[in-house]
Amino acid sequence: MKSFQVSVSIISDADIVTARQQARELAKTFGFSSSELAVIAAAISELARNIVSYAKKGTIFVKLIQEQGKKGVLIVAEDQGPGIPDLHLAMQDGYSTMNSLGLGLPGVKRLMDTFEIQSTVGQGTAVTAKKWVM
Amino acid sequence: MKVPILKQGNILIATIQSALTDQDLISLKDNLSHQVIQHRSHGVVIDITELDVMDSFSTRTLRNIASILKLRGADTVIVGMQPDVAFAMVQLGLTLPNVKTARDLEEGLTLLK
Amino acid sequence: MEKDTESEPTSSYAYNLMKEMKLDEEEILHRKAWLEFEEPDVNRLLELNDMAQGYATEVIESLYDHFLKFDDTKKFFEDPQVLNRVKNLQKKYFLRLTNGNYDDQYIQERIKIGSVHASIGLDVKWYLGAYGFYLRAVGKRIFKAFKSNPEKALESYFSLEKLVYMDIGLAIDTYIYQREATIKIQQEAIRELSTPVLQLREELLILPIIGAIDSQRARQLTEQLLHAIRDKRAKVVVIDITGVPTVDSRVANHLVQTVDASRLMGATLIITGLSAEVAQTLVTIGVDLAKINTVGDLQGGIEEAERILGYHVTKSLEDDSK
Ligand SMILES: Nc1ncnc2c1ncn2[C@@H]1O[C@H](COP(=O)(O)OP(=O)(O)OP(=O)(O)O)[C@@H](O)[C@H]1O
Ligand SMILES: [Mg+2]
Repeated sequence: MKSFQVSVSIISDADIVTARQQARELAKTFGFSSSELAVIAAAISELARNIVSYAKKGTIFVKLIQEQGKKGVLIVAEDQGPGIPDLHLAMQDGYSTMNSLGLGLPGVKRLMDTFEIQSTVGQGTAVTAKKWVM
Repeated sequence: MKVPILKQGNILIATIQSALTDQDLISLKDNLSHQVIQHRSHGVVIDITELDVMDSFSTRTLRNIASILKLRGADTVIVGMQPDVAFAMVQLGLTLPNVKTARDLEEGLTLLK
Repeated sequence: MEKDTESEPTSSYAYNLMKEMKLDEEEILHRKAWLEFEEPDVNRLLELNDMAQGYATEVIESLYDHFLKFDDTKKFFEDPQVLNRVKNLQKKYFLRLTNGNYDDQYIQERIKIGSVHASIGLDVKWYLGAYGFYLRAVGKRIFKAFKSNPEKALESYFSLEKLVYMDIGLAIDTYIYQREATIKIQQEAIRELSTPVLQLREELLILPIIGAIDSQRARQLTEQLLHAIRDKRAKVVVIDITGVPTVDSRVANHLVQTVDASRLMGATLIITGLSAEVAQTLVTIGVDLAKINTVGDLQGGIEEAERILGYHVTKSLEDDSK
């Protein structure tokens, strides 16, 4: 039985590698080009790393989807961490509370075809993004 | 050591052979910093032909490696980046300013001569 | 059971086509419901089968006589062997109408017919006309046979008509589906052709971009180019955008990304044919033009590329000797 989704719990930096490898394997079966696979892997890497860095633990969920004749992949990154107080700021290029590049979230938005982020301080963060096969 | 480092004359060659965790990258940085001093190397080639993704963390770490090694008197050249990796990287908004790049190991070594 | 072994086995091609066209069980039931094609219709059609066996050959012969009267249809049957084979198939097809079992298998057979017609380039109008011819020929015979019971004749005829309309629906959908698929393939091919990555000499690629670029094409261009850089071991690439009518900020962004990505791979990109307006667009989106290697025209770009590659010495020697 072929599976259409994977779910990886993210606790340590090794899980980041697992998440992107599993997502890649899954997306490969759906006809994504090699360059799109690299894009998906990079996006997952960013989201999973944010979970490790800021929320300590969470889940990356990847699913193959089909809508209006289009094939694609849905990525959900969820955690019950501290949440993001100012989403507008967090989505800006170069904004980082960890003295990093601050390109993770805005970068993922550029990589994917759709991008949504929800966050409540004290409750957690959820990012939902989709990428269609070109 | 996850990333083997080879000494060739006064140049060090680090060849990435499999997917790296953040921890592996940090060890690479530490190992190179030590060995550059130890061997008085004047150049380092990091071969990333096998790497299938670059994200903000690995980019930042490679940049850091280059600037730390510079302070220790060695030039860094990143070689072998795959087209798909490069494309995803620039779409994310990432680049490697002030870091030399070359197509492959051979060219990287020539660049450091 | 017997019928299954008798009927021509449908190819996996037709099966796949049926799946691609999303003709699943639900859709088929839906179509039948819309045509009011029900159990009594199946029975009435089965009742016609014996009669059909009797007049099949005659009807087919008259249909082909009709075909041969028109140049457009005649040209398909120049070869008498082909004609014979097609007639036999046609007879099978004809008898299949009154064979019952209007299931998956039936649908696949019908799709296959539509697909064959589409691929030999037989226009829909000929197919439709031929079906009309059929209905008239069979109608006449049904009414003759049921002369004493015109009501039954009409009912039987209607049942046949419903099934024929289902066939026509399937055939036309197949035509449309295949035409769309062909167009898609052609578009792909055109896209590939319209962005040739040329190798001018060892380590030097030229990419003349002609025509409008939207973001999808821009993405494909970049992807293609970066792969070509690796596969052909290019050191310098000249992209000529003289033939691009407009460069908006999105396309300009792609250009910059392509420059950056090439550099990450260790190659140098030179852009030629950049108009003053495009240069302005680049500045507006915050691109530092100093970071992009631009040269006025393609010729200049190639010279610059050769200089980078270290060919300038040989070249000036050649010039001197002339
Ligand atoms: N899952 C999360 N939980 C809590 N805060 C988060 C989460 N993800 C991001 N943030 C906050 O949003 C900021 C921006 O995130 P982003 O990924 O864009 O940049 P970064 O992680 O700081 O740097 P980079 O990803 O470039 O290394 C982070 O600095 C952090 O404060
Ligand atoms: Mg981040």
